[in-house]
Amino acid sequence: MDITWGASASHEIAWGGMIAVYLFLAGIAAGAFLTAALTDLFGKNRPAKLIRAGAYIPPIAIVVGLLLLVFDLGRPLSFWKLIFNVNFGSVMSLGTFIISFFTAVALVYAYLIWTWPVAQARGIQITVAGVEAAAAREVPASGLQALRKPVAVVGSLLAFGTATYTGFLLSAVSTNTFWSVPFLGISGVPFLPFLFLVSAISTGLAATLIGAIDCSDLTLYKKVDIILLAIEILLLIILYTSVSSAFFQGGLASLFWIGVVVIGLLMPLILAIYGVSKHKNLVVPVCGMVVVGGLALRYFVVYAGQMVR
Amino acid sequence: MAKHYAMAVVVAKCIGCQACTVACKFQNNVPEGQYRTKTPVVGPKGTFPNVSMYFLKEACQMCQDAPCVKVCPTKASHYNEAGVVLVDVDKCVGCKYCLTACPYDARFINKDTGAADKCTFCWEARVSQGQAPACVSTCVGGALVFGDEKDPNSEIAKLLSKNKGEVRKEEFGTRPSIYYIFQGVK
Repeated sequence: MDITWGASASHEIAWGGMIAVYLFLAGIAAGAFLTAALTDLFGKNRPAKLIRAGAYIPPIAIVVGLLLLVFDLGRPLSFWKLIFNVNFGSVMSLGTFIISFFTAVALVYAYLIWTWPVAQARGIQITVAGVEAAAAREVPASGLQALRKPVAVVGSLLAFGTATYTGFLLSAVSTNTFWSVPFLGISGVPFLPFLFLVSAISTGLAATLIGAIDCSDLTLYKKVDIILLAIEILLLIILYTSVSSAFFQGGLASLFWIGVVVIGLLMPLILAIYGVSKHKNLVVPVCGMVVVGGLALRYFVVYAGQMVR
Repeated sequence: MAKHYAMAVVVAKCIGCQACTVACKFQNNVPEGQYRTKTPVVGPKGTFPNVSMYFLKEACQMCQDAPCVKVCPTKASHYNEAGVVLVDVDKCVGCKYCLTACPYDARFINKDTGAADKCTFCWEARVSQGQAPACVSTCVGGALVFGDEKDPNSEIAKLLSKNKGEVRKEEFGTRPSIYYIFQGVK
């Protein structure tokens, strides 16, 4: 670099692809957990396969995400210092604790779901009155299984925290006009946590549906997915009108318009509305596109905020 | 009264010699290809008779409401006893949150330590010993003035009372301690 005559500050991209993928994985993990746990807690005829998929995705996604986070550090081996040096004013410091607890609870919940059928089978054996009755009704939770619903509740709160914190993490950078853009111009209410929460639930639900592909009746979930896609489109319209159009130009334009809007929102929305009642075999393409679009969204937001200032 | 260390850059006196850039590399053992301060050219721009060109010293702006300190998850970025923004290398994990928060691109990840790095006003080696930062001491044209802004008898207080000092990106409310005096330049 010719420092005498040339380049001023090099304008480095501090947070690159690893952080974008981490934000995406944290969103998937939180969304899948919410899908499984809320079904487990409130579902009437709970599709076991869907709960399983939604319980197994979060630990895998969040652990891979955490590894990316650690490897992205300038000093990966010192990551543990984040736990012992706390700054309550820093979203990242708070987030460290949210994702740590979420990871732990997600692992516990996955284990409980893993051992769930065993407990059910034992319940059936013990019941003398009749196998059919036992299978139809909820088996009285015994042993560790008694913890499953409380774990689902605590985990849902932590999943909500994980999904929104990724938004607050970026929106707390008040010197970044893109990341810190307020929601509908209301000062003090950042936009990104809303977008990231909806995107997290949408991608997490989509990933869970792919995992539960041969479940019989998923109409409710497909409808929720359509609603989430519609909300996300609304949110992106709000974002588009709230910030400078410079953020949607240049190299990021194709990522936004093709990746986020067309692949991630419009195509799955159209296909989902068309296929919700008729075609079961549209689940994988629709959900696959939602997941890819979610990744594109995180990439776009992470990079747009740093490329244009 | 508490001191407030500040620096004034008299832009019209800077000839772009980069003695500050080099002195900083000497003083602070900054890794190859990385800089705590540099002084790039702005321009030449405009057409005759309104052509202008000047040099603008860039470094940590020593904000009094520093975004880097606010976001740092481990309190590695902090204000020291004299209000100077410093990085505790031992506490820093290199998460780069401060790099995203700094609107002046003053920070980088030190290639050798992996920790966030930036100008320290030469606190350890010089300012805490009563000397001026290396860039100020070496400045050929007398473009850099350093001292306690709150001491009315200091050179910097006198300079700033007579000249309008501008701070960079005032809109972010970071309250920098580096003042740029553009008189005679733009």
